[in-house]
Amino acid sequence: MQQLDNQEILMKLKSSKQFWDIKKKLKQGLGDQQKIGVNDIQKFAQSCEIEDQLTKLISHILRKSKKRESLKEDQIEFLNTSKIKWTELLFKNLDIVHQKTKNQEEDDTNTDSKLYIYDEKNLLAFLQTFKQQQQSIALYQNVQFQSNKLLNVNIPLKSSQSILDKYQYLLLQEELQDDKINKIRKQIENEHIDIELEKIAQTFVPNGERCLLYLKYFEFDHQETVLQQNFAKLQKECSNQLFYDELLEIDGHEISEDTFYFVFQEQILTCLKCFIRDRTIKENIRIQLQNGVKKEHAEFQLPVTGFFPFKNISKYVAPLCYLSTKIHIIYALFKEFFCRYFCFLHAISSENNSILSLCMQIEEIVSTRSPKLFHHLKVIGCDTLKLIIHQLVYCFIGDMDPPHILTIYDSIIGHDSLEILVILCVGFLNKYKPKLLLAKNQENVQQIFSELREDRFQELVQFAYKQ
Amino acid sequence: MSEYFRKYIKKEHYANHYSNLKFKTSFRNCILEAFKRRLWKETDGDDWDIMWAEKEWIHEVMDHTHLQSNQKINHFRNHYELTRKDLMIKNFKRYKKNLEREGKNEEANNYNFFPLTFHLPSEYPIFFEEFKRQSNNGDTKTAWIMKPIGKSQGKGIFIFNKIQQISQWKNTLRYNQDNPQAEAYIVQKYIADPLLIGGKKFDMRIYLLCTSYQPLTLYLYRTGFARFTHHRYDNEDISNTYVHLTNVAIQKTSDNYDEKLGGKWNLQTLKLYLMTKYGQEKVAETFYNIQMLMIRSLQAVQKIIINDKHCFELYGFDILLDAQLKPWLLEVNASPSMTSNTPVDFELKCGLLDDVFTIIDLEKVLTGNEEQIGGFDLICKGTPIKLPINSTFTTYLGAFNNRQQQLKKIAKSTAIRLAQTYQEGQTKAIEVGSKGQKEKEEKDKQMRSSSKGPQVMQNGVNGSIKTTNQSKQNTIVKRNTTNLPALGTVQNKSNIKRYPLQNAGQQSQPIQQSQSNSSKKNNPNEDSMLSANQKLQKLTQESKINQFQPYKQQSQYNDVMGMGSRNLQKNEE
Repeated sequence: MQQLDNQEILMKLKSSKQFWDIKKKLKQGLGDQQKIGVNDIQKFAQSCEIEDQLTKLISHILRKSKKRESLKEDQIEFLNTSKIKWTELLFKNLDIVHQKTKNQEEDDTNTDSKLYIYDEKNLLAFLQTFKQQQQSIALYQNVQFQSNKLLNVNIPLKSSQSILDKYQYLLLQEELQDDKINKIRKQIENEHIDIELEKIAQTFVPNGERCLLYLKYFEFDHQETVLQQNFAKLQKECSNQLFYDELLEIDGHEISEDTFYFVFQEQILTCLKCFIRDRTIKENIRIQLQNGVKKEHAEFQLPVTGFFPFKNISKYVAPLCYLSTKIHIIYALFKEFFCRYFCFLHAISSENNSILSLCMQIEEIVSTRSPKLFHHLKVIGCDTLKLIIHQLVYCFIGDMDPPHILTIYDSIIGHDSLEILVILCVGFLNKYKPKLLLAKNQENVQQIFSELREDRFQELVQFAYKQ
Repeated sequence: MSEYFRKYIKKEHYANHYSNLKFKTSFRNCILEAFKRRLWKETDGDDWDIMWAEKEWIHEVMDHTHLQSNQKINHFRNHYELTRKDLMIKNFKRYKKNLEREGKNEEANNYNFFPLTFHLPSEYPIFFEEFKRQSNNGDTKTAWIMKPIGKSQGKGIFIFNKIQQISQWKNTLRYNQDNPQAEAYIVQKYIADPLLIGGKKFDMRIYLLCTSYQPLTLYLYRTGFARFTHHRYDNEDISNTYVHLTNVAIQKTSDNYDEKLGGKWNLQTLKLYLMTKYGQEKVAETFYNIQMLMIRSLQAVQKIIINDKHCFELYGFDILLDAQLKPWLLEVNASPSMTSNTPVDFELKCGLLDDVFTIIDLEKVLTGNEEQIGGFDLICKGTPIKLPINSTFTTYLGAFNNRQQQLKKIAKSTAIRLAQTYQEGQTKAIEVGSKGQKEKEEKDKQMRSSSKGPQVMQNGVNGSIKTTNQSKQNTIVKRNTTNLPALGTVQNKSNIKRYPLQNAGQQSQPIQQSQSNSSKKNNPNEDSMLSANQKLQKLTQESKINQFQPYKQQSQYNDVMGMGSRNLQKNEE
């Protein structure tokens, strides 16, 4: 753990707007006195609750300085075992993919280009096995088998009501006027403390200032040269071809079919190629996606990132291309977003943000608030989770227009959590509820979602709270 | 959509019911679909109400055809003054000179949105001088673009930076014996520093509807496209057309052209992207400049184009942004492509055409004072329309296209207004009817009394010719009221038009009923009429239509931008 000295704490304090506000308040309060002693300041600070504010600020700075270590082991043992199984499964998939690519090289007529190690459906199917493997109760003692839910694992879960309550403010947000927006702009420019930046991200981020806010939040705002140099180094490394490059190219081609992102195909691919070569990811990522054991006698090992690239990984980079024209900035933002948040969407873990928790929370909310829909979907063989897993894992990228996706990103930063996805998924299901209730089979359901549709952030939030 | 009009407006309230309208077109793309969606009937004969013709038809047939007063056609007679590349530039240059002559230098300076252009072969010597001058200045890299005057879709276009390349063209095309009538070209200074996104060049296609040149009435469509090239831009490689030309027709032939994708961005997406780099103010200014560029283009030809109440025109403006975000006008198309290459594109174009037809208003249901109709915003009516100072927007170009909601609102308000007019007409008809009855009775009395003595008869002839005429009128009115319902007074000619004969039978009954009521009381329906009017007023207030609302609030701004406004928005039913 890294410890800051007093000087460093002071420097950090000075970069906060709150610090200067406190100082101003002190000056105003003590302005009339000619001689000001430490005791006077202390007394005044205590009376105006300034002391409390300062203490909070300092403890926040200290907390922030602690480097979060990557979560390797889960507190629930069977999830650790599952992670090992999952990794083994992916190694097998890798062999199949490798074999397929070889066959493709030999046989040009084989046009099966959709090669990937795993996708969101594979992941959900694996999570489902927790419930299905009833025999080995000793191993899966935490699994409840009686439930009609797709996933029902006994992990510490945040109450779904508390999530709903937490985001309810989105419905009651006050209207913002021009002067207020300008104020927010100035605030973003002057603020450095992430707790304040989070507050802004929770409410409203003007389009032009979003990049700056993200850079400040990730503490990159004065490091552009460093970012540029690091990216240049990685780009150099890209000259050595890796097997995974081929998979990324296929994936990049898929994103190029999206109306909003086709322009950025090259940038996205470059970012991903650099990403799988970035050694710093392993230490920065908040949770280990696969258990990093080397597989003996395998032709390919895990990339230096410690996890396999998966299908549609390029989706996470795409919206960020709207934030900056500089590729090193896009890369830095993507890396931070992945290491801090999106990694949880691919991690088998009992953590609050993990895919397992989010899925269970969605099931919980839908089954209690829309039981009719929940059971109807179950009867027609199209479980709730199967419907929204794509939207959940890829944060609605490709389902909503970029402005709305960036609002989701804001909300993720604002709450330092992926819970907004639970709200949006519930809203998404509620929005299409009348149509879904009329569907008689899976084909009908597929048809509903194959039609032209337009989903919006605010709209889905409203639907989520609609009874 | 027009479907909202069909939903809210009662059949008998239409001045010209849609089922009576006929269209004619040779196009078989979105145009036909848009026509059909309005439930108009197709015709091959000359009994059309609206014709979407090809430009050639205008040149060949229109001058020799007499159009009926109700007929509308999609081109102005001499539209080529704006839409042919050489004439457009000529007219702009002439207008600019006129402005300078009139001392309006500031306005003249605004005509700087077209690149330096020469007509070939007629202006070849001047062009050559200019080319030499630039070369002597050491600017050997300046590229020039050659465009054939009469062609579209990027056909025959090439770029050069050496005079030898044009000599070659001269030899092969201009002075070739086999091709004595080689077409004329224009040569333009190539904008070498276009704004690039993802390393790719793009231009914008923006739609502008002109319904009249006197007064100049223009509607700008909120949605447009940015069309991208499929290859990275390379200033050096001037021979590769895929790099330089954004025309879909050209890009389609590229190896990696994706049919499904079409290589297009919505203007809203472009706006969002630009905001990140240049900030909201700069982007707003750019889009405002684009709007003004379009108004100025039409102002330049306003006195040249033959105005005709039968004509309207939907222009497709091709605009390029350079690296400094300055807009440049590349071309104005009189027949912008209405062929779609994606389902989204199809819906957009059908929507666009539907809004054009709504503005043309063949059904005669609108007031003509609407500031927004569907995705179109009125930007000029005689003079450019300025948005209120406190408005967050400088132009709605590239803003969120709320056409569905807007059409719903406007259809509701129109339905209310038409119902009101209808009821007022009915009331007046009843009043006139009962008045006419009384006067007739009086006249009868007079007649009876006049038959009694010659003196009275004389008075009647000399002193009340007017009265006789009036009573004659009233007799006609009365007769009409029995056949044509809801005719107000004879003066209200528009109302006569509004009620087709076929509905007469349905209407006569209630009127007769009310007439019989009127004989019992002076105005027995007053109470019920009042309450109906009150209801209508209430409805009008609720719908708040036709009122131009500047986007004072951020939520409204977000709504227009298509962003989650984060405010409690009531879902439209």
